[in-house]
Amino acid sequence: MSTEIILPKIGFSMDEGTIAEWMAADGASVEKGQPLYSLESEKSVQEIEAPVSGTLKILKGTGESYPVGTVIGEIA
Amino acid sequence: MSTETKAPANINLIQALNWALHDAMEADENVIVFGEEVADPEGGGVVKISSGLSTKYGSRVRSTPISEMGFMGAAVGAAVVGMKPVVEIMLMNFVAVCMDQITNHAAKLRFMSGGQTHVPMVIRTMTGSGIQNGGQHSDFLEAWFCHTPGIKVVMPSNPVDGYGLLRSAIDDPDPVLFVEHLKSYFAPGIAPERGSKIPLGKARIHKAGTDVTVIGYSRSMLDIPPVAAKLQAEGISCEVIDLRTVSPLDMETILTSVKKTGRVVVVHEAVKSFGVGAEISARIHEALFKELKAPVQRVASNDSPVPYAPPLEAAFLYSHADIEAAIRRTLA
Amino acid sequence: MNTYQPDSETLVDIYRKMTLIKQSDDRVIGAMKAGRMRMPYYSARGQECIPAAISVLLTDEDYLVTIYRGVHDMLAKGLPAKLLWAELAGKATGSCKGKGGPMHLTYPSKGCMVTTGIVGSSMPIACGLGLASQLRGEKRVTIANFGDGASNIGAFHESLNLAAVWKLPVIFVCQNNQYAEHTSYSKGTSVAKISDRAVSYCIPGLHVDGNDPIAMYSAAKTAIERARSGEGPTLIEAMTFRFNGHLIGDMGEYIPKAEYAAAVAADPYPKYRSWLLETKQASEADLDAIDLAIRAEIDEAEAFAMSSPPPDAIEVKRDVYAYEIA
Repeated sequence: MSTEIILPKIGFSMDEGTIAEWMAADGASVEKGQPLYSLESEKSVQEIEAPVSGTLKILKGTGESYPVGTVIGEIA
Repeated sequence: MSTETKAPANINLIQALNWALHDAMEADENVIVFGEEVADPEGGGVVKISSGLSTKYGSRVRSTPISEMGFMGAAVGAAVVGMKPVVEIMLMNFVAVCMDQITNHAAKLRFMSGGQTHVPMVIRTMTGSGIQNGGQHSDFLEAWFCHTPGIKVVMPSNPVDGYGLLRSAIDDPDPVLFVEHLKSYFAPGIAPERGSKIPLGKARIHKAGTDVTVIGYSRSMLDIPPVAAKLQAEGISCEVIDLRTVSPLDMETILTSVKKTGRVVVVHEAVKSFGVGAEISARIHEALFKELKAPVQRVASNDSPVPYAPPLEAAFLYSHADIEAAIRRTLA
Repeated sequence: MNTYQPDSETLVDIYRKMTLIKQSDDRVIGAMKAGRMRMPYYSARGQECIPAAISVLLTDEDYLVTIYRGVHDMLAKGLPAKLLWAELAGKATGSCKGKGGPMHLTYPSKGCMVTTGIVGSSMPIACGLGLASQLRGEKRVTIANFGDGASNIGAFHESLNLAAVWKLPVIFVCQNNQYAEHTSYSKGTSVAKISDRAVSYCIPGLHVDGNDPIAMYSAAKTAIERARSGEGPTLIEAMTFRFNGHLIGDMGEYIPKAEYAAAVAADPYPKYRSWLLETKQASEADLDAIDLAIRAEIDEAEAFAMSSPPPDAIEVKRDVYAYEIA
């Protein structure tokens, strides 16, 4: 079973965010808790950790803005 | 003031409300009264509505510091755990310094707690222009609270309604703003029957009629009847409705009347724009547009602060001639 | 103020409550960052000790009022984690049926009476709860929580005055985390210590390290005993720090880095755990067992929240008044 990586809402008025950087490669093996990607929103950038361990599948690329709730990747 | 049950034939609103408080405190030990100067040593209230209460009920009746935000919040807190506070805001304009506790807390706690708590409290206050109290001691601000879901707004015009509505407001499980009019206080009326409660949310047909529905409440119920009587002599039959409770509105009574007359005038002392009259007019148009014989008319005060000088005060408030003219416009 | 030495059982109970608050907070933030939950969440991470040490002195009969940063207060007072999590998730099974959210948590059966999202407004309401207990001749006390920023709003001053005049059984607990939203303490507050403001109302003002469980317990016990015996209110200023900014997403750029680092280095949670072990109040196995039990409790709470249904739309018509609106 895979776990969806969902673009989170982590700001008072945030309704979209940009993936500044994927910190693991597509297809790489990731550990729960390791920095997975950096999220840019409302003037701040923060690192988001992997919610589970497994193999990363990137669905959305960097530099583009996506609405909160968008599935940007999966960990299987 | 007397707490005897034998009623004189005529009393005024002050006495009626005093009776209601005495009877409510006697009936339920959870009823408590506080506000500025409400206890007997401080005079039993500015116009003595709470006279005799502290002497009889001791610490259940308290004069507060001049601290509306503090004691309004205290009323909310006490109500949340089942007390029934009747808190007095000396003049309606002073609600502005404790709006947070009224609109963000009293009105919303039932909903925000998912029904786990509720706020059975009554806020009594008085207001009214025409006695040179100027811009911060005279406003009718009921529309602010009618626009706030969770609180009810009651505005009696005579001793019988005052007594019966205050008893029901105190019994009500939700917060009630109870607005009294300074000029109505001293107008004599029929004495209420002690213990007789009037349900909230029910308007009263003050005078049945067939041609025009004239809707009022509070002070305007002093002004509409003489105009209606004058027009009656000309053969114009007004049906006069005293809303008594402004929110929730008794649309059943209003619409039943308007179906019959097809013409409506709403009269209130509050300023005209965005007021109760606008809401009533909108609801009537939504429900009975095709049955209306004329646009709904509003008679209300000038859209300005309440002025001080008597000629300006007179120009601020509607006149009997304004009410008459509005009624005639619906018949034109 | 006397210093009281709680027994080992009480000390471990404080640890249990701190652990519950910390784990719940960590997990809520994790769920938010994973995109599983969305809310305006005002983390109280770093402030665990204050409600943990106070609440071991309270019964379910005692009342609590708190503010938007109040999840820690509510958990310590007894709001079940399951009902909290379901409420945060906006589910029908939440303590407020999903109608309140993180800023309006309520659970009267444990004395959790009101959570307000308005700065300062917890205090007048606490006066009313205290008034009700006083009039009924009950021994209940009311805890009114608020932040340092709230000591500058009128409601604070009106409430302290009213409580003092009427000798109400209310304990005003200022959780001074040194920032009013993004504004540091000294930019907004005229006094060096908020507890000094008690002098204006002729009530005791206790200044205490809110991250020290013994000091916090002692201050709370002093104030609670005074309130229960009818002597009136106390203002407690409990010094602390919030580690996760004003709300989640706040990166804390306005906090000097050295100040933040020092606060995190003094994190009361691991410090207290070490102290319990060093002073042999509990064994490592005891504390590990608590950690695990709470982990299971939060697992259950999260699963319950996630699997619960959302509220039915009809609920917007309910609880506006006692009757359902049209």
